[in-house]
Amino acid sequence: MSFLRLLSRNRLALAGLVVMALVVVLALITPLLPLADPDVTNTADRFKRPLGDAGLLGTDHLGRDLLSRLLWGTRLSLAVGVAAALIAATIGAAIGIVAGFYGGRTDNIIMRGVDMLMAFPYILLALAIVAALGPGLLNALIAVAAVNIPFFARNIRGVTVSIAHKEFVDAARLSGMGDVRIIVTEVLPNVIPVIVIAMSTTIGWMILETAGLSFLGLGSQPPQADLGSMLGEARSALITNPHTSVVPGAMILVIVMAINLLGDGVRDALDPRLKSGALSRPMPATLVRRDSVPPQPRTEDEAILALRDLKTEFHVKNRVYKAVGGVDLHVRPGECLGIIGESGSGKSVTALSVMGLVASPPGVITGGAVYFEGQDLIGAPYETLRRLRGNRVAYIFQDPLATLHPLYTVGEQLIEAVRAHHPTSRDEARTHAIDLLKSVRIPNAETRIDSYPHELSGGMRQRVGIAMALANDPEVIIADEPTTALDVTVQAQILSLLDDLRRERGLAIVFITHDFGVVAQLCDRVAVMYAGRIVEEGPTAAILGAPAHPYTARLMACVPELGGGRRELAAIPGLPPVVDNLPQGCAFADRCHKATDACREGEVTLVPKGPDRAVRCIDPEIATEAAQ
Amino acid sequence: MAGYILKRLFSAIPVLLGISIIVFLIMAMIPGDPATAILGSYATPENVEKLNRDLGLDKPLVQRYFIWLGNMLQGDFGRSFSLNRAVLDEVMERFNATLILAGTSFVICSVLGVAAGVVSAARQYGLADKAITFAVLLGISIPSFFLGMMMILIFAVNLRWFPVSGMWPIYGARDLSALLSHLTLPASALAVVATGVIARLSRSAMLEVMRQDFIRTARAKGVHERSVIWRHALRAAMVSIIPVLGIQAGFVLSGAVYIEMVFQWPGVGRMLVDAILKRDILLVQGGVVFVAACYVMFNIAVDVAQGLLDPRIKT
Amino acid sequence: MTAALKLSGLSKTFPVGKRLLGPPRAFVRAVQPVSLTVETGETLGIVGESGCGKSTLARMLVGLLEPTTGQIEIEGEPLDNADPATFGRKIQYVFQDPISSLNPRKTIRQIMEAPLRNLHGMDAKARAARIAEIFAAVNLREEFLDRYPHEFSGGQAQRIGIARALAADARILILDEPVSALDVSVQAQVLNLLAGLKAKFDLTYLFISHDLAVVEAVSDRVAVLYFGSVVEVGPAEQIFSNPRHPYTKLLADSAPVVGRALKAPEGRETELPDPLNPPTGCAFLARCPFASDQCTSTPPELVEGETGHSVACHHPI
Repeated sequence: MSFLRLLSRNRLALAGLVVMALVVVLALITPLLPLADPDVTNTADRFKRPLGDAGLLGTDHLGRDLLSRLLWGTRLSLAVGVAAALIAATIGAAIGIVAGFYGGRTDNIIMRGVDMLMAFPYILLALAIVAALGPGLLNALIAVAAVNIPFFARNIRGVTVSIAHKEFVDAARLSGMGDVRIIVTEVLPNVIPVIVIAMSTTIGWMILETAGLSFLGLGSQPPQADLGSMLGEARSALITNPHTSVVPGAMILVIVMAINLLGDGVRDALDPRLKSGALSRPMPATLVRRDSVPPQPRTEDEAILALRDLKTEFHVKNRVYKAVGGVDLHVRPGECLGIIGESGSGKSVTALSVMGLVASPPGVITGGAVYFEGQDLIGAPYETLRRLRGNRVAYIFQDPLATLHPLYTVGEQLIEAVRAHHPTSRDEARTHAIDLLKSVRIPNAETRIDSYPHELSGGMRQRVGIAMALANDPEVIIADEPTTALDVTVQAQILSLLDDLRRERGLAIVFITHDFGVVAQLCDRVAVMYAGRIVEEGPTAAILGAPAHPYTARLMACVPELGGGRRELAAIPGLPPVVDNLPQGCAFADRCHKATDACREGEVTLVPKGPDRAVRCIDPEIATEAAQ
Repeated sequence: MAGYILKRLFSAIPVLLGISIIVFLIMAMIPGDPATAILGSYATPENVEKLNRDLGLDKPLVQRYFIWLGNMLQGDFGRSFSLNRAVLDEVMERFNATLILAGTSFVICSVLGVAAGVVSAARQYGLADKAITFAVLLGISIPSFFLGMMMILIFAVNLRWFPVSGMWPIYGARDLSALLSHLTLPASALAVVATGVIARLSRSAMLEVMRQDFIRTARAKGVHERSVIWRHALRAAMVSIIPVLGIQAGFVLSGAVYIEMVFQWPGVGRMLVDAILKRDILLVQGGVVFVAACYVMFNIAVDVAQGLLDPRIKT
Repeated sequence: MTAALKLSGLSKTFPVGKRLLGPPRAFVRAVQPVSLTVETGETLGIVGESGCGKSTLARMLVGLLEPTTGQIEIEGEPLDNADPATFGRKIQYVFQDPISSLNPRKTIRQIMEAPLRNLHGMDAKARAARIAEIFAAVNLREEFLDRYPHEFSGGQAQRIGIARALAADARILILDEPVSALDVSVQAQVLNLLAGLKAKFDLTYLFISHDLAVVEAVSDRVAVLYFGSVVEVGPAEQIFSNPRHPYTKLLADSAPVVGRALKAPEGRETELPDPLNPPTGCAFLARCPFASDQCTSTPPELVEGETGHSVACHHPI
């Protein structure tokens, strides 16, 4: 089972598992062990030290054998803790699933009740319940389980709500399933991992809390021993005979710690987000691990930004995804370069690599160079990168709602962009920010500057994103699918704005997109990417008019164009290769109708085809002469 | 903003009513009748009946609830038979001591917990992260009462840095330095678990936020990394940290009961345990309602803080 | 020929700001009363931008949402209760996000069997035969049946979604942005597959998309939705080349097209009307170059023109 394999890979969790297994086995075989009766008092032999003549751990204030009491107490505490967790999880999950699945008024009423219970300070409610039921271990168990039910209910409700709104639940309805059936077969299997996680991470708590109530004298009653009551009874002799306190206390610590380690392991193994290693924070700049530095190209001296043989990989567990497998690109001042490709082609990673913004881990730049005005940025010190970011090379990202900070006003974010590079006063920066908003044609800039991103429409937000990129008059703007999340009518406005700005300001733009129409309208040159490499590059009109690479040609044929009426579309058979397992030779060979054995042998290089054009194909669609 | 605070205050009314009903119902569940418990060996049928009448226990449940509620609203929480004192007076006095203890602990755990979580997340997998993660694990696994006992043994008995127990010296001035020296051990022992929980949550909240697109935007703008973490990431992470602070305040406030027992702190928790063991129902009832009501008010403050932080919450 | 699907006055209103007791604070009309007819064997395309109500409309058609007003007729029979199970045999749905429409904890076989068992009460043998038939039709290998959804690419998962919809043996398929989560090279595969299936099984499609070119390429007729209303319906080959409603024209002019110079069809930044405070007249008023007083006061009705080209505009182009 993959779950156990994942769990065993986590050394700490394994340690917790071993300790817990040991404790559980000990607790299970306690009745079989040759132990003294835990409840027989012998006041003559009271407070015997451990490792003395009165048993391994000595005796307590009534002369009872501590080892025996410890094992019996552990048995009881474990049983009570686990029982409380099971009860709380079962009832809480049932409440949560019902509330989350049915929603509406049912949900509202149930959750108000849960909130009411959660309005109590936690242990206080347990105390009140014990006060009503009377002291005793069973009552302590009930109290601890009861106060934990709201936590489970709330947690499980949240998960259920998100699952109940998933499309597969709608699909199940359309398959003719009723509510109960959907809860049991569609919702529950997806909620169970969360219940298990919640239980494994709270079981330690439950043991602590029942021990706590016993410690206060409200749980197990004398002479019955559980770990909490042992500690409680030992308290009065703490100073004179600390071993009677240390023994049960240390046992609780060991058990709870082992459970917590194990619980974390279970969580890590079951949580799909953690499984893929996603829950790691990206470092300030992408990791660089390269052996050699390619020299700056001579021929592209006029280029402001030049990428040479750039290689960026993602290292996830044992797999290496070659997202960018050796990319050469350059952009001149005032030029707009388009990078076009399907998802997974490496176009965005290429763009983010320029300023070291690829999330690392798992991203690593493993080779190549990025020359900005002749200076290599790959492996440059963080401070050098920071001074260039947003100042000389700025970015515009795809989804303007996710890319703006939700808790700062537009103005604050613009002012920060300015002041990160130019020490100006707040007032000056604010005036500048208003000018920026006006330059991207935001109406009422003076009032809009104090809006939060969520108060603006998608198009407005993307204008703010552009304004932020312009804040320090950069030489280069890298726009990563800036209009993909927008509606067509808004997209048209944003594209024409970008086009005007670049002509007014002489900006170099690197524009990443998957849309040929956008490239055609905005870009001077275009590079087509497939499986992490550039397969074709050249002036936009030339490539769109006569694509040289079979992939470009066939991809263009796939895209329906407006005005063509109803028709059969050309399709490319197969799927793009996964970049952790690229084939030998041409990555497109498997989908290419012209592929021969030669395509699958050895490296296919990007060869020049006429002025300013290049293609990575041994049998291009057009002859070299025709490209001219 | 004032409107928002007012709205939150109004929303507390049903919660407070709900709390009073829950407490009343829990106490009404008590098997046997309180009169027998109060009278003990003096319980003759006539005495029990008379006391039941005096306590209003012969009336129907709903009527009893409203009488009790009405009295409480007038500040009459009843009389504790075990202390022979007005419940409210006793609770207020004891709550004062608990507030000093829990308040100090709450400040310690909030500041330390959030700071540790942020540092831990910012240096994920680094030495500081590993050390903090281990300390947190230890902290959330140790029972606070056991920790308190060990602290007494080490810092009070062996090292003699702090007094063993109590809130004030038996002889000598009741000044701030005396209070602080008595407060240090119990407040720290009480803070440990909550610090661990807050640190753990802050770390994961920070990691979650650090992966968001707007952090990449901040970096792409060339903002200093220090500012990326403390200004951009922490601010967004606080949205999920603040509710946890609210819940942890409840843990600290009620978890104080263990520490008060260990350190002989004259707080409301110890009073409740004594009252439960003596079956002094009115004292338990009054104490629980009072503390819960204070906690509700505190949570309103938390909500308001959240509203100030996050403009997306409608005011 | 009876219409496969007929909607009359179908609308949906959502409450906003629900309270524990008592009525909600406000209502938002996501879909204004819509009347449309889809002929048997036809593909009706529905286009509109985000927030225009196209998904709400689609969900009402399969019974996932109860309409506030109006009626749905399938092959002449009215369906008035929002029960997906009764809808399921007649009309099925293909979801936008192929992966999230498949339960991650079920095998493809379990997913495929659900409609066969629940809607048609087939026994195990009949189910296996039917699944084999459908899988052959959508070009999926039967070995996929015992795998879990996460093992599939978006294109494959969408084929499975289509196969599930076919399994219910419904004659009408609602395709809600079925290719917008897919890459263009895969998108064409799925669109062609859909066209083939339609011919093979005599299906009727309602094809919803925000991509004008895709809609035009697959539809017989196209309806344009704006702010919850149908503003224009017409034959696919006419509607974008000869738009009659100013909004349709704006859409057509905004789509980036190879070989057309870049210009913003709208000079100023414009926003959709506020759903909480809808305009009294035409919803497109604020963005319309031809707006008049009449547009401010009365909302235009959808009026049938020649060759089945209808438009809801006081001043059609």
